[in-house]
Amino acid sequence: MLTFDKVTCKYFNSVSFEIMKDKVYRLVTNSDFESNLFIDFTFGLKKPDEGKVLIFGKDPSVVSEKETVGLLRRIGLVRQDGGLISNLKVWENIVLPLEYHIGRVPEGSEERIVNIFTRLGKSSRETGALMGRLSGSLPPYEKRLIGAVRAMLMEPELIIYDSPFEGLDAQTAQRLAGAAEDFQAGKAGRSSLYISSDPQSLKDVKSDIILVLYGKGTA
Amino acid sequence: MLSLRLRQKMTVDPGHNGYFDLCCDKIQGMMISQFAEQLGRESLKALKNLIAVLDLISYSARNMKVLRIVPVRTVLNKQLFFTGIEAMNKIALIGAVIGIVIITQISNLAGQNAELTGKILVWTVVRELGPLLAAIIIIARSGTAISSELGSMGVNREMDNLTMMGINFMDYLIVPRIAGITVSVFILTIYFQIIAIGGGMALSSLLIQLPFLQHMEGIFSSLRIYDILVSLFKSLVFGIIISAVACTHGLMVRDSITEIPQAATRAVMQSLFLVIISDGIITVLAYI
Repeated sequence: MLTFDKVTCKYFNSVSFEIMKDKVYRLVTNSDFESNLFIDFTFGLKKPDEGKVLIFGKDPSVVSEKETVGLLRRIGLVRQDGGLISNLKVWENIVLPLEYHIGRVPEGSEERIVNIFTRLGKSSRETGALMGRLSGSLPPYEKRLIGAVRAMLMEPELIIYDSPFEGLDAQTAQRLAGAAEDFQAGKAGRSSLYISSDPQSLKDVKSDIILVLYGKGTA
Repeated sequence: MLSLRLRQKMTVDPGHNGYFDLCCDKIQGMMISQFAEQLGRESLKALKNLIAVLDLISYSARNMKVLRIVPVRTVLNKQLFFTGIEAMNKIALIGAVIGIVIITQISNLAGQNAELTGKILVWTVVRELGPLLAAIIIIARSGTAISSELGSMGVNREMDNLTMMGINFMDYLIVPRIAGITVSVFILTIYFQIIAIGGGMALSSLLIQLPFLQHMEGIFSSLRIYDILVSLFKSLVFGIIISAVACTHGLMVRDSITEIPQAATRAVMQSLFLVIISDGIITVLAYI
């Protein structure tokens, strides 16, 4: 699904690993900066000095823009800060990628959104009230939950959680972990990757493989 | 100035004339080279900005088809609402006042000469003030808003967030803004001209007892299709300039929120400058 092949830059030295189908991974980095760098390499926002990053076997830097969009749609990202667009309302944020790529909000999406929010501890009334709010005015943890709902709604084959549990109270963290587990179990062949610079925050994640970035090297 | 002061000082000690002369020449030389360097740097920056603005215009022109995508069309509609519809009452007020001012001044100067009033109104409002004032109002309202909004999105890495969702931020953020502002300036220019001429004439006929119908006749007899077309062409050019400059400066903000007000100021100044320059060029080409 995602391959890092001898990726080298100022902060990484020949990092190589492969994210396989149907697995849950934990990636422990040295800092939030490294986590962000890893995400930037994955989504082609930055290019490594040496080595390759392949998404579903293809190098996004050599394929057409249309093909790159197709590849990126197969990966979902839940950012620590939610990754929302501040001048859009919560509902508009959640359905933005769906409307942009499919041209409409598929039937049943509203129900799915309510279900995921219920799993995250919000009643349908709270969810309804949240939908009309501007995302820029929300607290960071709420933005992250909304980011998670948006990513899950796109049904990606690989979902990446960037420092998902940091700064959350135990109950909210547990609910988010539960929703993420449900999502992983929801479809065969799906994979999840949890990234954090704080290994303690990922201790409860039931992962198959743990990757650790050591200074200028990797496992 | 520095070299002048040194030269004045030098006269106190005539024994060191040669040395001071040398120093003064060196300082003068340094100042000239520094000035030339600064001038060169500023010119290069201005040229780079202009190329970026042209790039954005060309990108938007080539990618207008993205306006069919639902969320892009939503951004376009919002832009039309904020720039076009929300500015209508202000444009109407300014248009009516400008109309009254011009008509009052003409009647003071030339008495109740319907033909002359019509001609001067057409010359000022249709040929010049209509497109120019509508553009200036949009620069003040929407130019600053767009550059600040895009700047703030850049600082929060929201363009990267869009890219990571497979959404081309140029298609989603820039194309609808350029289209929306251009259409708004075009429509607001027509609106301004109608209000300035019709409203100004109606209010003036009430305030200073001008024969309304006679003056309207004077206006229509002076109004040529060519004037209207030049005026509308100007409004299109101004709309493209305002939107592209505002977007360019907004996109240049990347790291710090302190860059946002600077970008907004630069966008306003550059828009004003380019709008006035292009107004001059179009007027000269159209009427000489």
